[in-house]
Amino acid sequence: MAVDRPTTGNATDPMPTGGHGPIVIPDQAGDSDLLREFGMDEHPQGGFHGLLEVIPTKADYILDLIRANSLWPLLSGLSCCAIEMMSTATSVNDIDRFGMFPFRASPRQADVLIVAGTLTTKMAGPLVRLWEQMPEPKWCVAMGTCTTSGGRFKRSYSVVQGVDRVMPVDVYVPGCPPRPEGLIYGMMKLHELVKERRGQWRTYVDRGPQRTRWEGDVR
Amino acid sequence: MTGIDPETRIPDPIELDRAEEERLRAVAGLTPVRASGGEYAGFEQVGIPDRPPQTEREREVYTLDEGEMLVNMGPQHPSTHGVMRLVVKVRGEIIVDIDPVLGYLHRGIEKLCENATYTTVLTYVDPMDYLSTMHNEHAPAIAFEKLYGVKAPPRAEYIRALVVELNRIFSHGLMMGFLALDMGGITPILYAFINRDEIVDMLSAISGQRMLFNFFRVGGVNFDTNDEFLSRLGTWRGNVMKNIEMNERMITENEIFRARTIDMGTLTGQQAISLGVTGPNLRACGVPFDVRKAKPYSIYHELEFDVITQQGGDSYARYLQRIAEIKQSIHLIDQIIDKMPHGSVQAQVPGIIRPRPGRAYGAVESPRGLYSVYSISDGGPNPYRFRMRDPSFISLQALPKLMPGRLVADTMAVMASLDPVMGGVDK
Amino acid sequence: MADLRRSRTAAHPLGRRRPLTTPVAAGALVRALAERLGSDLRDLWTDEDTVEYQVDGARAHDVLRTLRDDDDLAFFMLADAAAVDYGPGERFEVVYHLFSWKHPGWLRIRAQVDRADPRIATITDLWEGAMFHEREMYDMMGIVFEGNRDLRRIYMSPDYRSFPQRRDFVLPDDAADSSAAGVRPLERPETWDLTRFNQAPGVTFSPSAQRDDAPGEAVTGGETLSSKSRPR
Ligand code: SF4
Repeated sequence: MAVDRPTTGNATDPMPTGGHGPIVIPDQAGDSDLLREFGMDEHPQGGFHGLLEVIPTKADYILDLIRANSLWPLLSGLSCCAIEMMSTATSVNDIDRFGMFPFRASPRQADVLIVAGTLTTKMAGPLVRLWEQMPEPKWCVAMGTCTTSGGRFKRSYSVVQGVDRVMPVDVYVPGCPPRPEGLIYGMMKLHELVKERRGQWRTYVDRGPQRTRWEGDVR
Repeated sequence: MTGIDPETRIPDPIELDRAEEERLRAVAGLTPVRASGGEYAGFEQVGIPDRPPQTEREREVYTLDEGEMLVNMGPQHPSTHGVMRLVVKVRGEIIVDIDPVLGYLHRGIEKLCENATYTTVLTYVDPMDYLSTMHNEHAPAIAFEKLYGVKAPPRAEYIRALVVELNRIFSHGLMMGFLALDMGGITPILYAFINRDEIVDMLSAISGQRMLFNFFRVGGVNFDTNDEFLSRLGTWRGNVMKNIEMNERMITENEIFRARTIDMGTLTGQQAISLGVTGPNLRACGVPFDVRKAKPYSIYHELEFDVITQQGGDSYARYLQRIAEIKQSIHLIDQIIDKMPHGSVQAQVPGIIRPRPGRAYGAVESPRGLYSVYSISDGGPNPYRFRMRDPSFISLQALPKLMPGRLVADTMAVMASLDPVMGGVDK
Repeated sequence: MADLRRSRTAAHPLGRRRPLTTPVAAGALVRALAERLGSDLRDLWTDEDTVEYQVDGARAHDVLRTLRDDDDLAFFMLADAAAVDYGPGERFEVVYHLFSWKHPGWLRIRAQVDRADPRIATITDLWEGAMFHEREMYDMMGIVFEGNRDLRRIYMSPDYRSFPQRRDFVLPDDAADSSAAGVRPLERPETWDLTRFNQAPGVTFSPSAQRDDAPGEAVTGGETLSSKSRPR
């Protein structure tokens, strides 16, 4: 049975991108016709190992899968929420299961900034600087009510009322502090965003130069 | 999802001419830029403030001799235990001077407390020293009870002592883990967090929250013990000794650990008292000051225990002191459970209390030392003045005294042995 | 000897208060203090575990030195040092809590400081650990400690120009509504009295801190921040 290899743009292209429709991975689709279409059982070396040997797809899709499954967070805790973030990273909750264990100490090696804790005016400058040192693509998770809205420090004279005043945020995880399960759920949501390419940093880049210096910057 | 609020977006001032910049700043309600352009130099010259020194000490630190340079550690540094900046003056690898720069986590908690009712204050103080939340609530509760003239029922006092000792155990356990982590050993912190998660799950069974418990009330505690709490406590008590000893075996005799802690950061008792160091750090210098014995509060006069001290005063003694105190706390918990009376856990107190004008001082022994509250009432529903003395804030002053002459890499090892928590340091 | 108890004779209207514990046996301490520092200490007041005196700000350093060095008193540990603001036109107080093995209870010394010209001698020569306390009081209240070698702001950034713990620094009801919008510290013009401290020994400010042309708050439609704020 000789079937022409599909070219890109074919209806059987397993690569729905752009954020619409579910992601279908072909060997899980359960459609044997689809498999046969790829020459599955006629492989010259008989190389049928339960998986497709050749998957016609877009490099972007593969890159997104890789990105989503090895998001390395920046090791940067601001206050109380950081303890729960550490608890999420260690044995009991073990965020390593989702490819997120190596908390990088350098922003140059990090993909996601988990803002864990209260952001003060004095820390705003350094944190924006960290964010800008991270290579793109990058994502930001606001952990705790302090970073989502100011939380219990809503009336304080020295607290930034929500981290989205100084940088784009992809996922908000409320709670004071959020339970580790809450943070893990937030990271699952972030995986979806990454796969669907819906990160906020793009709009952030489009907006042009931002303010990088603050009243309380380090001197 | 708001992203960037367009109102607060200001183009980078450097790229604009001065007039446009001033206009934009005025629109956003910001103060005008200073006359000299270089004042916001930020990190460009590492650590050196771009202004004349304000004080004698600042001039001393920021004036460099031949061969010296400044290194900035922080505010984001993996082992500053939070957000703090250390300006380290080095000659080669040898530290000459240290200037800690604080305030990156200053949240104005005292001011917020002065604008809150007495019950709400107990919520606001939670995120201060976030590894010893129960102690944070204990001191204000004592002070407010003195102000209002109400006493918690005996069972409430026993439950308080139980939860603060549990809190002390996981706080000291984490300190052991962080100390090893700062020397490059990653395993002890994993064991410490297993122990910590067991305890916070237990405490969340009694208080409903995992970390900022908000469990204390003026005149009692929020909930009585329940079955889940007690069964978790029993399970934990069954194997806690084994876990602690396992962690201890891994660290105590480790050759690298000993080489990096023994004779490192040695404080004498006299020096420690003058610097205001309290808690395990002071007892590790041989001074038997423990608020639980010196000025007994709650039910500590009914419990049998001795003040543990170490000789030596170095990082290793501070580490041994923590282990001894964990075992002491387990011993105290056994006694508390034996003696716990029946009865109510909350005195009758109205929701909004208005104490008579007066002053009160409440002090407790937190895992980091003397944690105290000075509160003034003017007869209204909020404290007129609410002041907290946080032990790690004061203990941090020892760091510049300990480090000169040591290697840069030892800074973090010594700092971890002092066990500061930035939430408390910066309030 | 006067009755050391705080007067608690009137029953509370709710009738729910329980009696306090007995006051500390402070007789020996009070006698020793009257003997050594009789002329400086005023207004004795106690509660169940504290003995409190008031002193003049100018005498505070000497009193504390005596308390620390005298063998019978031996208050070797500075437990706390805090500043209290009693509002505009009133006074500041610097409150010291001391600890000694020889006496039950804490000793509290309240030193009065003029609010218009807040200066008091530093005690960093007695206790090195008072340094951070004094820097904090300077930052939050604007009290100048004469002789302190390192009187800088400790929490707020060096160019911050208010003293947030003062009574006339009022928090807005919701910081998100204010013109500051959370990215800039609130400043109130009436608390900008830094220029007055220029003569303090060891305290100098960069010229920018003395400028008085910085706008206080954005005034839109006649509404000021203070009209939005709720007085306490
Ligand atoms: S949200 Fe709560 S736990 Fe998190 S930083 Fe804020 S106060 Fe701390």
